[in-house]
Amino acid sequence: MSALAAILQLLGVALAPLLPGSIQALKARLQGRRGPSPWQPYRMLRRLWGKSAVDPEGTGVVYRLAPPLVAACLLAALVIVPIAGHAGNFGLGHDALVLVGLLALARFALAAAAWDTGSGFALMGAARDLMIAVFGEALLVLALLVAALPAHSTDLRAMSAAASGGAIWSGPAHWCGAIAFALVILVETGRQPIDNPDTHLELTMIHEGPLLEYAGRDLAFIQWAAAARHWVLLLLGAELFLPHGSAFGAGIGLLVLGVVGLCAALAVIETAEAKMRILRVPALLGFGCVIALAGAGLWVGGVGA
Amino acid sequence: MGVLGAGAIAGCATLALGGLLAAWPGRLGVGVIVQAAGMLVLGVVGIAVLTGDQALGAPFRSSIGPAFGLDQLSGFFVAVLGVTAVPTLLFARDYLPGSAGERGVGALTAGFLLSLVGVLAARDVTTFLAFWELMTLLPAAAILVAKRDASVRGAVYAYLAITHLGGAGVWIALLVLQHHGAIGDPSALAAAGTGAQTLVAIAALIGFGTKAGFIPLHSWLPRAHPVAPAHLSALMSGMMIKVAIYGLIRVEFEWLGATPRWLGIALLLIGLVSAVGGVLWALVQHDLKRLLAYHSIENVGIIALGLGASLLFADAGAYQWAAIAFAAALLHVANHAIFKTLLFLGAGAFERAVGSLDLDHLGGLLRRMPWTGGAFLVGSMAIAGLPPLNGFASEWLTLQSLLHAAFYRPVAVALVAGAALAGLAATAALALLCFVKVVGLALFGAPRRSQCAHANDPALGMRAGMALLAALCVLLGLVPGLILPTLARLAPGGAGAGLSRQPGLLVPGTGAYPALAIAIALAVLTAGLMRLRGSRRAAPAPAWACGQALVPELGWTSAAFTKPLRLVLEGVLRPHRVLEVVRSGGMVQKITYSGHVPSLVDTLLYEPTIRAGLRAAAVARRLQTGNVRTYAAYLLGLVLVGLVCARTGIFG
Repeated sequence: MSALAAILQLLGVALAPLLPGSIQALKARLQGRRGPSPWQPYRMLRRLWGKSAVDPEGTGVVYRLAPPLVAACLLAALVIVPIAGHAGNFGLGHDALVLVGLLALARFALAAAAWDTGSGFALMGAARDLMIAVFGEALLVLALLVAALPAHSTDLRAMSAAASGGAIWSGPAHWCGAIAFALVILVETGRQPIDNPDTHLELTMIHEGPLLEYAGRDLAFIQWAAAARHWVLLLLGAELFLPHGSAFGAGIGLLVLGVVGLCAALAVIETAEAKMRILRVPALLGFGCVIALAGAGLWVGGVGA
Repeated sequence: MGVLGAGAIAGCATLALGGLLAAWPGRLGVGVIVQAAGMLVLGVVGIAVLTGDQALGAPFRSSIGPAFGLDQLSGFFVAVLGVTAVPTLLFARDYLPGSAGERGVGALTAGFLLSLVGVLAARDVTTFLAFWELMTLLPAAAILVAKRDASVRGAVYAYLAITHLGGAGVWIALLVLQHHGAIGDPSALAAAGTGAQTLVAIAALIGFGTKAGFIPLHSWLPRAHPVAPAHLSALMSGMMIKVAIYGLIRVEFEWLGATPRWLGIALLLIGLVSAVGGVLWALVQHDLKRLLAYHSIENVGIIALGLGASLLFADAGAYQWAAIAFAAALLHVANHAIFKTLLFLGAGAFERAVGSLDLDHLGGLLRRMPWTGGAFLVGSMAIAGLPPLNGFASEWLTLQSLLHAAFYRPVAVALVAGAALAGLAATAALALLCFVKVVGLALFGAPRRSQCAHANDPALGMRAGMALLAALCVLLGLVPGLILPTLARLAPGGAGAGLSRQPGLLVPGTGAYPALAIAIALAVLTAGLMRLRGSRRAAPAPAWACGQALVPELGWTSAAFTKPLRLVLEGVLRPHRVLEVVRSGGMVQKITYSGHVPSLVDTLLYEPTIRAGLRAAAVARRLQTGNVRTYAAYLLGLVLVGLVCARTGIFG
């Protein structure tokens, strides 16, 4: 079973670009366009792989090291996140807070590269990204706290197992956690209403900013890492905060359903919601923090459990 | 008394000898190296005591006669002191010669180190208080020997005034403990009742908290630390405030008898405010050393969070986690001592090379000063809490402690722990933002001043000191699990924490943080991906600035990078901005902008207090007429009041 889980985890390397691809395709349909096919990110990666890189003048080792390091962080994150509560033994543990650290390292690498180029657009995006991360990280750990309460552990496998079944939904605590984690997904994947992945307008862009100077295989690594972020977050969302069973076989079926459902939800939100002002984002995330904290308090207090 | 006792005495004697030699004309370098040898011996003794089963010398006692000894907790702090002081002294060996008041500062450095060791080794109240005061006074003296302008004198005055006012708490706490015979005897204070316990707990929290730099008692720290010579700033921020944490642990954890629950909650709240507040004000500083000083406040806050969580676990009966949280706090003590020392030394090297510590005047130093820049980058990543360096290991443990502390009832405690958890996560993200800014402005990109373009790495001793500390950041980050069981054993009742000694942090109730495996995985994957990327046929091109040339005026500044956060937190930070537009004939000729973020605690707490104090002094001054007859009248009045009191029986 763990061998199968390991294979599925590694399959994420290949499948991850399908997630943003299908979100974009579905979004286009919802907006009445024909749009690109879900395989578009693969075509883009292939195209980028054949192009040469660009080194802006004055950049050094930091700029060149950042894309592989970002991709390496996300690769490590992929094997830390279990599939349907099961995971292969890669020796990296399965801790939720280690995951937070790896995502922070990836963020650091890109922001440092932005400083290395000295480009205003890159730094503008990095500054906004890091500002939002302050509130996003607080929200993320609080949502993880709510998910850790039933398991009394931050081992993602145990958290997934403890959140399985229907009983957990009888109290209000897990609902609070689910709302908070929905906001986490929006922040960490950089989708509307918090960020707009389709834009390169300096007034609005966040995550696209630090990538502006990159080209070729460097950009391919970073684009893949962005897709892997979707994979990690949507998988966690489906495993921790959507109904699922504890059996592995049925669990995978429900997991696929859950991830597809989350992709559809993201597409609907992107169609229905305009991007909000960046300065309003912290208030939204703060609201999520309060909800998550209330969920934790309700669980500890034993309300409805 | 054995080898260790002899070693400790020899180490102190060598240290003192090094101080005398440093004061001798022409022997400064030798003296500092001798001091380093002394600290090395003391550090080894500390490690031996920490890992051994036997305490050294006298136990704690409630008598007046002087007594010295080292138990395991003292051994830990002495070991950390040794580990950070040896590289610092290597640095000072090449840093001090040629600076102002070099011999005086060199000798006072030894005195300062001896006073730190003295506090850690004191086993009775008089010795402790004597060395405690020396520890405060000697660095002040060293700062005044090195720099004499009015602003430095003002900073030192504020340092001494605030630490002495707050430090009264230390005297009160220790003398009350002494009065009840409770130094080294937890049952004595428990017998004295909750009144005495509460008094001691609060007095120690204020006294040691002032010296540790808890907000709102921190105001001296960002004033005093930046004005000291680099190696003294490093020792003050790296170790002096940790010695205050040592005192706090002694009183609150060991001698209080039963620790009340409110103390755990208080520590969590103090830690939360200090961590978030410290990093927030660090973020808006332009001066590198001032920024680092604010980060010390953040990090003592994180240590307080670990200690508070430990008390709450003990209160809930979860003794294993109480020991783990305590070990997390101690691990962060060691980690912060190492990377903060490194960062202050790096700042000193930059100041020497460039002549300025204004962040907007540095730039491109990684290429010009690869040793200093590389070490500084490692230290910055460590303090920003990035895996796989040492800062992440202790922050991960502290986060885990807070998360697990939120499992236990009552709900109010769980909510405070949850808020502290969110606060610590935000603190880590803020520290990341801050140090991306610092390394970006100082190390990466193009030089912002001609001095940066011609800066060079410093002499061997300075390079070696920083490289040693950077290596320690990496080492402690890779194998934190090897010392975790030793630290957990130091917690009160922590002997049975049941942690196995492995390189990674395989703590029960977590998904494990195998630091070494993660580091190897990241290194192998990054190297593999770079290989996959193949040889680069990169086209050099200017960075895109909408077709403009990227001239230095377009470069981003410290203020620009933190602007989004300042806008979001305007209500808390309350930045001041002055924009002057000079027009003539309808044309804008010149625009000047200046802005700064005042320290809210200073404007809301200290300034009103100072104003009230001055007003009271002005009123009191009216009594001092200088007229002999008035004073005679005062005396007469006093005698009369005394007679009336005696007559009415108030004196009993």
